[in-house]
Amino acid sequence: MTQTVVTQAPPPPARRPPGPRAVVVALLLIVLHLVALADTEFSVHTLVRGWHGIVDFFSQALPPDTSWSDVVEPGVRACVTTFYIGLLGTTLSIPFAVLAAVAGSRTTGLGTAAYQLARWVMSALRAVPEVVYALVFVTAVGLGPFPGVLALVVHNTGVMGKLWSEAMDEIDRGPVEALRISGAGRTQVVLHAVLPAVLPQCVGLLLYRLDVNVRASLVLGLVGAGGVGFLIDQSVNLFRFDQMVTYIALVLVMIVAVDLLSITVRRRVTNTS
Amino acid sequence: MPPGHDGGHVARLHVRGLRKAYAGRRVLDGLDLDVPAGQLAALLGANGCGKSTALRCVVGLETPDAGSIHVDGRDVAAGDNVRAGRREVAMVFQHSHLVGRRSALDNVCAGALGRLPLHRSLAPLLFPAQIRREAMACLDRVGLAHRAGDRVSRLSGGQRQRVAIARALCQRPRLLLADEPVSALDPAAAEHVLALLAGLAHEQDLAVLAVLHQPDLALRHADRVVGLLHGRVHLDAAATDLDAGDLDQLYTGARRPEVVA
Repeated sequence: MTQTVVTQAPPPPARRPPGPRAVVVALLLIVLHLVALADTEFSVHTLVRGWHGIVDFFSQALPPDTSWSDVVEPGVRACVTTFYIGLLGTTLSIPFAVLAAVAGSRTTGLGTAAYQLARWVMSALRAVPEVVYALVFVTAVGLGPFPGVLALVVHNTGVMGKLWSEAMDEIDRGPVEALRISGAGRTQVVLHAVLPAVLPQCVGLLLYRLDVNVRASLVLGLVGAGGVGFLIDQSVNLFRFDQMVTYIALVLVMIVAVDLLSITVRRRVTNTS
Repeated sequence: MPPGHDGGHVARLHVRGLRKAYAGRRVLDGLDLDVPAGQLAALLGANGCGKSTALRCVVGLETPDAGSIHVDGRDVAAGDNVRAGRREVAMVFQHSHLVGRRSALDNVCAGALGRLPLHRSLAPLLFPAQIRREAMACLDRVGLAHRAGDRVSRLSGGQRQRVAIARALCQRPRLLLADEPVSALDPAAAEHVLALLAGLAHEQDLAVLAVLHQPDLALRHADRVVGLLHGRVHLDAAATDLDAGDLDQLYTGARRPEVVA
């Protein structure tokens, strides 16, 4: 049985139509996309016309070359190197990222000068892609995985420092205030209120960065920084697409494994908070 | 006569003529308040009457526009040694403001940070054994020694508030301020916490000033009730001399706060 609720309450207010500003913004966004499509020479027609190029590629790439000693074994070994590059690139940047994050967070209150400097340094480190750092370090220390590690450390300090400082900005200020007014010094407050509170988020972000850095170290191999990226680059240069497909399959397995590991650890860390 | 001495009687907390305005709104309008050692004083009043602002001024979270605050005769507003001054005054908040991921004991030890050098306080593991013993004694005093190793996030609201009180005790304060310490607690936990605060005042010769929103709890546990109205003391009497009706005027008498011309 339905009942009509009789009420003396005023009717709900009428919905306002979108204002002129919203219309202008929407039009601007549409124009921006049209310009971007033209500038990037985006064309479905060209893609459809070139379909046989893709077919050629796959006919050369399939079936993949799975010879153990020539392709798979060196590929697995190179994948492990790629993982090591990503791992060290992430973990070796932790001390620098902690310093940058603490200085660059409003919660820690180390002063405006330290805050501005840390923000500026982190932006500068982030602005340059890993590949550019890798090219620079290759000229200094030669080809191989080492310049790749250095490149990731520098870039990751900027990115992880920013992510961590934002995590610190968002923590509950209560414990910080409580310790501050009990007479604790700034460093003590950071050590006993800020860092323990922000630890789960920081570990989560660290694992996320490990995931990203392992993938980035793949690209670094293309500029001579070792690992499986280097092998992929070689096979493309020799038109051995069948080998390339095997390497990519190995990379896929590695990326999925790192992703699963990161998800598992993250879940455990956040559950114990 | 030094401030706080009143005919031979020493007030632990001695506040005179405290004024504070926010954006033209007068919150404290010449507050005078003394709290002697060994007393739990309850600070009552309607929302916005200046209770919390008064406490925040005493711990230095707010700078008063005018007036003086002395703890044990020492001017806490004088900026010569703010950190040392802060150690004398401990504060307990409505929400315990503990670090949830750390153990109750580690949280209580943190109350001693103000008198520890940095190299002995880099991590909970480095806290001196004597501090850990003292922290255990504080936890024992609030009845939670058996939960010392448990993470604070696993404790109930009332237990957390008692850990926060233990942390305040580990600070070895002369004056304990409590800003709505039981507003987030159920009635049984609220009774427990207030009985604890009264016990500390009486046994450890501590001056305790607690902002409360429950007149009945104030009458049952506090030695003295101070009622604020429009940023001034409107009522100040021993809890035994008051009944609930006396306190009603604090809430019904609250008009819109006057605006500074």
